[in-house]
Parts: sequence; structure tokens; C-alpha cells
Amino acid sequence: MNQADDWVLLAYRLPRVPSTPRSAVWRKLKRLGVAQLGDGLVALPADPRTREQLEWIAEEVTDHGGEATLWLGRPLDTNASSVVVGRMTAAVAAEYEAVAAEAAAMRTADAAARRRAVARLRRELHRIQGRDFFTCPQGEAARRAVETLAAADTAGART
Amino acid sequence: MKWATRPGVHVDRAACAWLIRRFIDPDAEFVFPADLAAIPAGATPFDMRGAALGHHQGRCSFETALEAFGLDDDPALEEIGHIIHEADLADERCDAPAAAGLDVLIRGLTLTSESDHDTLAITSRLFDGLYEHTRRQLMTGRPPA
Repeated sequence: MNQADDWVLLAYRLPRVPSTPRSAVWRKLKRLGVAQLGDGLVALPADPRTREQLEWIAEEVTDHGGEATLWLGRPLDTNASSVVVGRMTAAVAAEYEAVAAEAAAMRTADAAARRRAVARLRRELHRIQGRDFFTCPQGEAARRAVETLAAADTAGART
Repeated sequence: MKWATRPGVHVDRAACAWLIRRFIDPDAEFVFPADLAAIPAGATPFDMRGAALGHHQGRCSFETALEAFGLDDDPALEEIGHIIHEADLADERCDAPAAAGLDVLIRGLTLTSESDHDTLAITSRLFDGLYEHTRRQLMTGRPPA
């Protein structure tokens, strides 16, 4: 998917207090990698999975006394949608770059610390991949950096 | 009894269907309407927005169903609940390494299934095996060989 045609949009409103459900919902939306289009309006490229993910968040919003509606939409202005896609891609790219930088920095650490870092960074890559809707090129570089770190370990003596 | 869920079943719906047929209603009949309004009269909806057997309090539908059916005292089912939760939501609330594999297998299966009934026929065998494996592991404290 290089450019999303159809988007699934969640328009939601939650009471300001208590603030816990609001921040819980926002954390979940962040983890999904949504584009924020406005106050209480977020979007994801539409597929059955993203649609379901936003449906359950909508349910959570209504469970907490808020209002939520889901929409399928298509941008009329392709420039504006490129800006949105660019913003989503840049956010994911920055996350990948942080992983790659950390993998590079860990190369001089001792073996035990390297092994822990490999396990942690692989999990982190998996998380980022879940919100990488436009197959950001930095992903491949980050994966290579982590696997290079892992290879440094298996090349040495096994314990 | 009739039970209704959304078409294109994935891990949470497949697991709920298995739970219903194995522990609640051996003659369960499953239908797959696209939204709550299209549910046939008398059918119980599950894993659909607005259904009691859905995602509530951060839990997936399978976990909600365990409690609703009074099956939450079975430690093997509770453990399977953690796996389904991670496979469906991946929010790292539970430690369930099997979740990632289960998610991929069932997603792949739905790509080649002829129908949702076809998917459920296969996943029901999978969950029978997962239940047995989990039960034995809990009994002996080790994964069965």
C-alpha cells in the first residue's frame, strides 16, 4: 500500500473527566499509528483489520459515556492526503531510526547486554511494523541493524 | 441455538465459536450477518460492536465470554484467554508467545477458506489441540513433549 484510497475514520468525544479513559483511548490510538485529522477525529488506511481496531476503540469510548462514530472516507484533495501520509510515514521512520541507532550503539556492549538488546529491539520492530502502513524504507535498515547485532552474538562462543 | 458474529472470522471470533460449541451449546448454529441490525431473531451476537459478548473493560470477546459463561474457573481456558487477547489486541497485557503464531496461522487460513464455516471447522480442531496442550502443561508444569 503506497497511498491509501479509502480511510476509516473515527470521530469521538469523551468527557474531560475522568481523564483516565481519555488517555487510555489516546494511547491505544497512538499504538495503532492513527493520523490525527482534528480534535477527536482520527483516521487509518481502511482494511478489515484497521476497521475492526477502530470499532473496538469506538466501543470503549461509548462504554465510558462518550460518543463515537465510524466512517469510511476518501480524500477529495490528494495534496492534503499526501501531507497526512507523509506525517504518518515520518513518525514511523523516526521510530525505525531510533531502533537502528540503538542497535548500532549496542555493538560494543558485552554479550549479555547485546542479547537482551536484540530481544527487546526485535519486539520493538514488530510493534512499529504494525503501524507502518506505507512500508517505510527505514524499516529494512532497522531490521538489518538489529540482525547484524544478533549475528555478532551467534558468531561468538555459545554459552 | 443460533449464534451470530461478523463475517470474515479471525482469532477472537473463531475462539468464541469453539468455546460456545464445546462448552455451552454442542448444536450451536453460527450465522455471519454484516451488522447488528441484520441478526436473525433469537440469535445471540458475539464479538460485534454493541454485543454483550464483545470487547469490554479492555478484554477481548473470548475473555468476556469466559466470564459470562462462568468458565473463568478453568485455568486452561484462562490461559487460552491470554493467548487470544494478545493475538487479537497485541497490547502486551499478557505474556503469550503463542499469540503471534496463532494470529498468522488463522489470518492465512481465512485467505484460503471457502467460507466462515470452513474456517471454523479447522480452527475448532486447532483450539481442541491448544486446550489439551495447555491443560497438560498446567498439570505437569512443563510443555508436553
